[in-house]
Amino acid sequence: MRVTCVRPIRVAGALAAALLLLAADPGLAQEALALTPEYGHFPLIGARGAIWIAAQVHLMFAAFVLGVPMFAVVVEAVGIFGGDRRYDRLAKEFTRLLLIAYSATAIWGAALVFALATLYPRFWAYLTAIFAPSMWIYAGLFFLESFTLYLYYYGWERWKEGIAKKMHWGLGILLNVWGTIVMFIANSWLTFMMSPPAQVTADTAPQTVRLWSAIANATWMPINIHRIIANVVFGGAIVGAYAAYRFLAARTDEERAHYDWMGYIGNFIAIGALIVLPFAGYYLGREIYEFNQQMGITMMGGFMSWLWIIQAFLIGILFLTGNYYLWVGMGRIPGAERFTPYIKWLLIVLVIGTIVWATPHTMIASRREIAAMGGTHHPFLGVLGVMSAKNTAVNFMILTTFLSFLLYRRANKRPVIGWARTGTLVQGAAFALAAGIVLFYGIYGYFVSAIVRIGFSVYQVLAVLACILVVITLDVVMLRGATSRGAIRWGQMPERSQYALFILAVTFTWLMGLMGFARSGIRQHWHVFEVIRDTSPQAFTPALGPAATMISVCVLIFFGLVAVIFWLGGLAEKPIVIPAAAGTAVDLGPAATAGD
Amino acid sequence: MLRTNLKILLTVIGTLAVYTAVANMIPQVQSEVPEETAIGADVTPEQLVVIGQELYEGAGGCTACHGLGTRAPDLLGVIGQVCGERREGLDCKEYIFQSLTEPSAFVVEGFQPIMPDLRRTLSEPQIWALVAFLQSQGGPVTVTAADIPRAELSAPGELAIADGGGAAAADAAVTDPVELLRTNACFACHQLGEEGVALGPTFETIGTRDTEYIRRSILRPNADTAQGFEAVAGTMPANFGDQLTAAQLETIVRFLSSQR
Repeated sequence: MRVTCVRPIRVAGALAAALLLLAADPGLAQEALALTPEYGHFPLIGARGAIWIAAQVHLMFAAFVLGVPMFAVVVEAVGIFGGDRRYDRLAKEFTRLLLIAYSATAIWGAALVFALATLYPRFWAYLTAIFAPSMWIYAGLFFLESFTLYLYYYGWERWKEGIAKKMHWGLGILLNVWGTIVMFIANSWLTFMMSPPAQVTADTAPQTVRLWSAIANATWMPINIHRIIANVVFGGAIVGAYAAYRFLAARTDEERAHYDWMGYIGNFIAIGALIVLPFAGYYLGREIYEFNQQMGITMMGGFMSWLWIIQAFLIGILFLTGNYYLWVGMGRIPGAERFTPYIKWLLIVLVIGTIVWATPHTMIASRREIAAMGGTHHPFLGVLGVMSAKNTAVNFMILTTFLSFLLYRRANKRPVIGWARTGTLVQGAAFALAAGIVLFYGIYGYFVSAIVRIGFSVYQVLAVLACILVVITLDVVMLRGATSRGAIRWGQMPERSQYALFILAVTFTWLMGLMGFARSGIRQHWHVFEVIRDTSPQAFTPALGPAATMISVCVLIFFGLVAVIFWLGGLAEKPIVIPAAAGTAVDLGPAATAGD
Repeated sequence: MLRTNLKILLTVIGTLAVYTAVANMIPQVQSEVPEETAIGADVTPEQLVVIGQELYEGAGGCTACHGLGTRAPDLLGVIGQVCGERREGLDCKEYIFQSLTEPSAFVVEGFQPIMPDLRRTLSEPQIWALVAFLQSQGGPVTVTAADIPRAELSAPGELAIADGGGAAAADAAVTDPVELLRTNACFACHQLGEEGVALGPTFETIGTRDTEYIRRSILRPNADTAQGFEAVAGTMPANFGDQLTAAQLETIVRFLSSQR
């Protein structure tokens, strides 16, 4: 197949002509599309490298500006309805970070569009021929979203009391509505590339594709849901990193206490939402298999199979680092020392869980590897690499993290109700029962067929979720009116804990890049899967090593820019620190966000 | 603050360096764009088998499931023997063709219907080449150019074989287990029927040992020494792991396991 690569200016000219014709006459447009050069040229890193960086960095900023408003509006509501002004200040500080991040999102979005129009002109003309109306709606909504954000932020002090405050909160909700619709529209373009409707073939003229059928494709809604949750995780992690930076730069104890608290909340949001994310991931994966089994197999068992081992390794690090932050944080909570002896056991479970989860099993192995292993599976580790073991490990890790959080939450509280001991025993029994169910089905899974075994993971997940629900409900009731063993000493946190927040933010960001590579890479040599073939010299899908290098470059660019945003965030306004009332019966700080 | 900023920078770069290094340390598998294969009107069954094997191990994506023992039935060395008896009214090549193009028409017991319709990714001549290759796994190849619709065929004499064509590819294409034992000089020491020398353990009853043992004995011949053959211990070459393709290894293991 002939591949044409030309300079961006000529490409832009041809593309503009094609788009004009497209608007004028669909028949002529088909011919114009054929006249449009296929690919442009980008120096040094090539066209695909340029698109990769522009898209990835834009997505990182987009995730941040979509995730933060979600929890900013929740935190503002806690402030309004709980009567604690600290939350209101915190919500405003979250929002302040958004202002500059919005500009960065728009700049990288424009860079991505220019790159697509000049480097992949024919493909871009194809997409615009189908999606043009939605692109105009997107632009309009982006304007509304930006305007709402400015109103939301700059009206914070003006509308701070009574009904005006509630209307201000309404603006926050509106901001989320615009942002979510904008994301849904953009998601339709990329999911169309993954899973075009069955009636769209290589011979289908793009003008004849119905817009709604292109938007509501097989993976659209699963990606929407997955991204909403992932954006919250990501936003929480970046806010955590911001708080860590400000904690380390703080000059007063009050400032340090404030950012310590903010870092805790960021971490809580990130880890809390992360626990839910795998369920959205399963839904997306199932829909990919439903759409095209070959694509699903390529993703999970084909050339990408090693990617999931790296993913397991990264999530293991997230669990370990998130828990480490909680354990270190217990040092500033009076009464937490009674739980210290248990931490080593929690650590052991997490480490074993990570090792099991990251054990390779069904991999494409080379002859040399098969020779070294003595077969297609490793003689010993192969036993741990199967889904029975991995599901068991993941569920134990979730239970352990939940237990860490529970210990943290209860550290400085003394229940006053008469049945506290019985309640704690019931909580312990709920943990034991959930762990028993997870372990039972984990072992039983080795003795049944694959079809039966797959169903076991549902029982395991349900057992863990039921345990979380029962234990947290009991905890809330048991700790009502509890006396304090002493107020949390916010700000008295070792510096190393703040570096853990940086590791969390970097890991979440890198993981996002990795999953983006997986989602995009399963299309392999197709721009639109099995409809428009990538005929450029870079049509191959790179191995994990080069992809990882590219992801790291994107993460570095992102964090370089984020550092500027953090710095500007510090310049813009000093936080108004409202210290928690020391010595109160129960410190509402973290507990209030934890379900009280 | 400069010191703090430096520590933050080191934390970020260090974390990224670890992840990048780990991802570069694991096996690197790049997904190539499939070669366009043109099959001429004068293609022979042998050529179809060679093309079919290339597709089986490459663009067809078959090895993502077949041969792993869990997701899909193992085919190598076996399917050619059983394909004619799987479905009433369908001979071997009809059955295999149907399995590739209408995979849900018949699903082997114990497995899920996850097999994709290969017409979405392969041309009909390519699918027939796959049928020929699968027939060669334990059975006679009956697919000919006459099975392939003429409109799908290229001009006579045009035959593009994916990389590694020629003699080397032909060697890699050998999948008949006895032929593999022959070409790898196994009969220089082992006996099967009237062929070979009984210097090492006979292949006649080797299937009484478990499959793992047989595989290990091929890949690491010095790991165990069969009783009664201590005198010749260490004489078996240890390079079969590098010499055989994974598919060939499994074909031999399966074949020897069936010798009881």
